[in-house]
Amino acid sequence: MQTKTSLLSRIGAAELIALAVMVSALALPFFVSNAATVSLLTQIMIGVMGALSVYIMLRMDLMIFAVPAFMAIGGYTAAILSVRHDVTDVFLLVAASFGIPFLVAIPLGFLVLRMRGVYFVLVTFVLAEIMPLLLFETPRLTGGSNGIAGLPAVVAFGRPIEDSTSILFMCTALALLATAITVALTRVFRPQFESIRENELLGQSLGLLAWKYKIYGFCVSAGIAGLAGFALVEMLMTAHPSSFSALSSVNYVAYTIVGGQASILGPLVGAALLVWASNLFSLQGEVSQGLFGILLIVAVIFAKGGIVGVVEKLRPKPKASRLTAS
Amino acid sequence: MLEIRDLTVRYGGILALDKISITVPKEETVILVGANGAGKSSLINAIIGMVPTAGGSMTFEGVDLAKVAPSMRAGHGIGYSPEGRRVFPTMTVRDNVLAGASRIGRAAQADVYDKLATLFPMLRDKSDDLAGYLSGGQQQMVAIARAMSASPKLLLLDEPFLGLAPVWIQQISDAIRQFSKSGVTVLMTEQMAVPALKVATRGYVMRGGAILREGPVAELRSAALAEEYL
Repeated sequence: MQTKTSLLSRIGAAELIALAVMVSALALPFFVSNAATVSLLTQIMIGVMGALSVYIMLRMDLMIFAVPAFMAIGGYTAAILSVRHDVTDVFLLVAASFGIPFLVAIPLGFLVLRMRGVYFVLVTFVLAEIMPLLLFETPRLTGGSNGIAGLPAVVAFGRPIEDSTSILFMCTALALLATAITVALTRVFRPQFESIRENELLGQSLGLLAWKYKIYGFCVSAGIAGLAGFALVEMLMTAHPSSFSALSSVNYVAYTIVGGQASILGPLVGAALLVWASNLFSLQGEVSQGLFGILLIVAVIFAKGGIVGVVEKLRPKPKASRLTAS
Repeated sequence: MLEIRDLTVRYGGILALDKISITVPKEETVILVGANGAGKSSLINAIIGMVPTAGGSMTFEGVDLAKVAPSMRAGHGIGYSPEGRRVFPTMTVRDNVLAGASRIGRAAQADVYDKLATLFPMLRDKSDDLAGYLSGGQQQMVAIARAMSASPKLLLLDEPFLGLAPVWIQQISDAIRQFSKSGVTVLMTEQMAVPALKVATRGYVMRGGAILREGPVAELRSAALAEEYL
């Protein structure tokens, strides 16, 4: 019997499309020069990373609101290393902004992953609430309410990344990296994640060490949020607690739900659409939040599986067996 | 192999198992028969750790199961196929079956799958199909294969014939006999006593969370018992 064991052979169409889209997006900085468009695309790439962080946890039926907390850890790690320790090499900063949130998530995961359902949601929201307080109350490390300003330009292959187009390229590359990590994780551990999502108790009775896979997912989710934080502080050239407010976690969850949580294309589509819509609505002044809310309500009512889910429904079903008598 | 003594299970104020004791000897196929609400599934769920016990003891090969976490019981050699199949519908047949073998390497998983496919040929034909699209009988085979994928010493089958056509019951009965011949001990529950008693060596009749009668299947198969209890 033929057995498919390599990761490449197990990657599905949605993952291939997602990777192809992100690779193609690397060309965007060479075609876009308008400052507003560059800024919008950079925000979309950061949104994609935040949404992928949520998506990983949703593979295990865990709704996470702690994305801004891990973004803050990743962002401040990069800011502290570059401002206080003169580390400007982009590869070192990427490794640190992924690695530190990943490591912080290990002990946190042992604490919060014991909880399920609404309790897990609440605890992760509390983590997001606590993080700005920690940033404000530790001025020696984080600059407190002043944040850390004046970040030096990061350097890639000896060239500084300082103009907005270069930063867009870097953020797109980070989003591509986050997509590749997400694809690898969710494919390698797909049976385990799906067992946990569909029936964790049954999975445990089959010998599945659910806590182990939840920790893996939580740590990688934190690492990807850290990359988003790094991208955000590089875009703003400053690290400030207000950039990581707990309420921004709702945006990352909305990107994933509106885009569609059943496929990795969902976070990409959701982030692109909602960040674009958010920017468009912001031109309407006071009613911008109301318009954004209406868009969310419409999306949830008319596209319950998310935008990608609706498109999936229009396609023929996956190959089904001939029905036989039971 | 499996010794259960004075086991009690409660769901809130409801007594599901009332100090029951059973023995499952090595390499035997033991059947628990009884109507709905007799406590058969509660007993299976207690053995695998899905419901807490309120008293008594369970010992598997000398190990006190109370000291073994539910996720570690499979590692001790206990395989489980739940009532109503409960396959993972959005996973392929192959992923479903190998969900029970998550602790072994990929090469070993391929061998295990090939071996199970010789017993259940549909695993070969439908390996990449989504399990949710299979018929009831096929899903039952997937659930049993999943339980067997970790090469258990004790196989727990909760109502394996439930809602199945005779042709599937026959195939599953044959598979259970094969497992038994290869040295696997089986403990199964079933409402359909007639086909179940054909594959078992010993049996227990349950009602209202208690054991009414036990013994070799020849005794339990008698018409009087069938009329009275089953």
